[in-house]
Amino acid sequence: MVILRTEHLTKDYPGCRALDDVTVSFESGKVNALLGKNGSGKSTLVKCFSGAIQQSAGEFFLNDERCSFAKPTEAYNHGFATVYQEMSLVSGLTVTENIFLGRMPKKGGLIDWNRAHADAKKMLDMMKVNINPREIVSRLSMWQCQVVEITKAMSYHPKVLMLDEPTSALASTEINILFDVIRELKKQDVIIIYISHKLHEIPQIADTVTVLRDGRMIGKVNIEDVEHKDILGMMFGDVVIRKRPADIVPQEEVVLDVKNLTRSGKFENISFQLHKSEVLGIAGMLGSGRTELLKSIFGADPYDSGTIKVNGVKIRHNASPITMKKHGLGLTPEDRKQEGLILIHSIRDNLCYASMSRTSVGWMENRRVRAQIANEQIENLQIKVPDVKATVGSLSGGNQQKVVVGNWLNTQPQIMLYDEPSRGIDVAAKQQIFEIMWEQSKRGIATIFVSSELEELLETCNRILIMSNGKLTGEAYPDNLTVEALYSLCMED
Amino acid sequence: MANDIKKFNSRSAKNFVLDHIIEVLLIVLVVVMTLASSTFFTWPNWANIFRNMSMKGVIAFGMTMVIIAGQIDLSIGSTVALSGVIIARCCRDLPDATGMSLTVACIVGILLSFVVAIGMGILHGYAQHKFGMPSFIVTLASLNLLYGLAGMLSGGFPIANEFPTWFNQIGTGKVGGAQGLPIPAIILLVVFIVFYFIMNYTTTGRSIYAVGGNPESARLSGINVLATKIIVFASVQCMCVIAGIINSAQVIAGSYSFGRGWEVDVISAVVIGGTSMLGGIGKVWGTLIGIIFLGVIVNGMTILNLDIYAQFVVRAVLMFFAVMVATFRAKAKA
Repeated sequence: MVILRTEHLTKDYPGCRALDDVTVSFESGKVNALLGKNGSGKSTLVKCFSGAIQQSAGEFFLNDERCSFAKPTEAYNHGFATVYQEMSLVSGLTVTENIFLGRMPKKGGLIDWNRAHADAKKMLDMMKVNINPREIVSRLSMWQCQVVEITKAMSYHPKVLMLDEPTSALASTEINILFDVIRELKKQDVIIIYISHKLHEIPQIADTVTVLRDGRMIGKVNIEDVEHKDILGMMFGDVVIRKRPADIVPQEEVVLDVKNLTRSGKFENISFQLHKSEVLGIAGMLGSGRTELLKSIFGADPYDSGTIKVNGVKIRHNASPITMKKHGLGLTPEDRKQEGLILIHSIRDNLCYASMSRTSVGWMENRRVRAQIANEQIENLQIKVPDVKATVGSLSGGNQQKVVVGNWLNTQPQIMLYDEPSRGIDVAAKQQIFEIMWEQSKRGIATIFVSSELEELLETCNRILIMSNGKLTGEAYPDNLTVEALYSLCMED
Repeated sequence: MANDIKKFNSRSAKNFVLDHIIEVLLIVLVVVMTLASSTFFTWPNWANIFRNMSMKGVIAFGMTMVIIAGQIDLSIGSTVALSGVIIARCCRDLPDATGMSLTVACIVGILLSFVVAIGMGILHGYAQHKFGMPSFIVTLASLNLLYGLAGMLSGGFPIANEFPTWFNQIGTGKVGGAQGLPIPAIILLVVFIVFYFIMNYTTTGRSIYAVGGNPESARLSGINVLATKIIVFASVQCMCVIAGIINSAQVIAGSYSFGRGWEVDVISAVVIGGTSMLGGIGKVWGTLIGIIFLGVIVNGMTILNLDIYAQFVVRAVLMFFAVMVATFRAKAKA
């Protein structure tokens, strides 16, 4: 039996402690689930094991041998293998080539293809799955890719196998196949650490549950000894939800009316109304179709059927962001670096791109107005900038996010759609973003706020829609709701 | 504290030199040439340099726009040839066929060339945007298409001595007497001013930078990405027509073989001027410097009687180092 043990493991980042004195041990032959909400430190722990980062204090031991890795390859050589959430396969190569990437068996200096395919076949058979090693990876389904990733990791004969959200991209039938593979792995002498957000899967696959919260170790229990609500309690603790200002009151007037909106494979039959001054949250897990819904409403992505009305005016089918902007909508996209900003351009330019009609007289740019409205946003949103001409890429995440928001506030919108505005930014910046939302709401602007952080939704919103597998499954009012209850609502299929 | 200020000053001085490295190199080159040859730094020679660079120069300004938008147009040389051939054909055939005067026929030819150019621009922009085809490939196809059309229209031979005399003046005339400013140089400066204005003072210019910097962010900011791409592709094609007019007027003929391989010098001038091939970054002013830089090198080597093939080697080396410097500069600033 192999044992992985940590002692007082701590990781400090500038301004925050991601792991705080974590002491825990994992045994081989078991699936050890590692749970915690976003930012609880579970990814940090896994990154320490995989050599991606180094702990600030404390140590960890594999079979009483102290481990210390300067880089991921060292961790690999010591038997720590990680399968990340994002696929890391080369899609144009065969299954065999992906498994043996960089170490293909050779004979006389040339690749020994027969042996390579035979070895790959043997390993895939051990997983009890039927995947052709000669197949090109881009032709495989998601679960097959996931299994190939695991096979690749297992080909290094690891002692510790870490699976980071392996089911996040899989359909429910595929998940069962993957679980069979993982149960097969348990027979080998390997420690499996399993990270997942999907709480209802845990009893099916895990033997033990380890919960982290705010970087601290909350507890490790056997799965037979606990119930669903116990785990939830461990994950969330006694959450104190801050209150939004009382003067944010939705008005009668409906500004956005979405009816039966459907985009096949992404979301279906979505209907809701958004009122003036309302802050409406959409809760749901990753992949529930929230981002796609916002993008379709904004005209950035197409939809198949349904209608959208803004201020009672029916919008033509599949309108563009240009049209929606004219109707007073704004969207801050989920991925601010790839979709929200032009990183190589200046802060001032990035604050004015959406509002070009305001900063020009006909064809001519009015540089005075540009400078003025950019400075207004910098002041109002308290964006910390060294120089408005500095590139926006040089700013911190929180300040970048404020630039994205400022770019849209400069268009003087009536309806703002925020997609995960608080991702990857510090607590103070988050709070400022919420205050911006409330401030706009007081001026009559309606807001839709999508977030994976349920506490944030409870704190910020007047009303929360629950989305699951592309459908609206419920509606909740934060005033009489706990985080655990909201979490349970989101998990229902 | 004092140390900080010193550090800051040396850093800003370093940045200034890094930002203007091509200007500095150009001045060094001019000084060296002036010392090496007594005929270099004279007015007739400068007029010569500008006249020679005018054709590739006007295209380079259009190309700057295209590259800043994150695209490329390789078909430019063929458009130069085709527009010359179209105008020459119109001048030769239209007066006899329709009875219109030579001047009207010539103007019809010029307008027709612009229509073709704008059509190609729309095609390039549309194909790139709607089908996601790389503009490199789309315009490579157009390079052959337009070359072939020019050959077919001209029957494989140059069409010479058909233009009205005022047309020929566009290529060879001067304003202000024999020692005056060549008309092609004036056209070059006017085009420079127009592009400088568009890129710095209009919403079109702002959109072009945005589309080149990050097309998805631009789209989600409600910028019309398709229209912007069509504008840049049509602009460079129209500049090719202007270059084709100057070229045909200088040679007093239209031929399918004009403009072959010009894309190399045009793209060189743009890149030497500091425009990033990745899009989003670049200056019209830099391209002007790049054009003069190339012009001075070619002119200088000719004055020094350097072998024509050796000239290519020198140009290659200079191009290599100019781009290397530009790349280092980008890294140093990042």
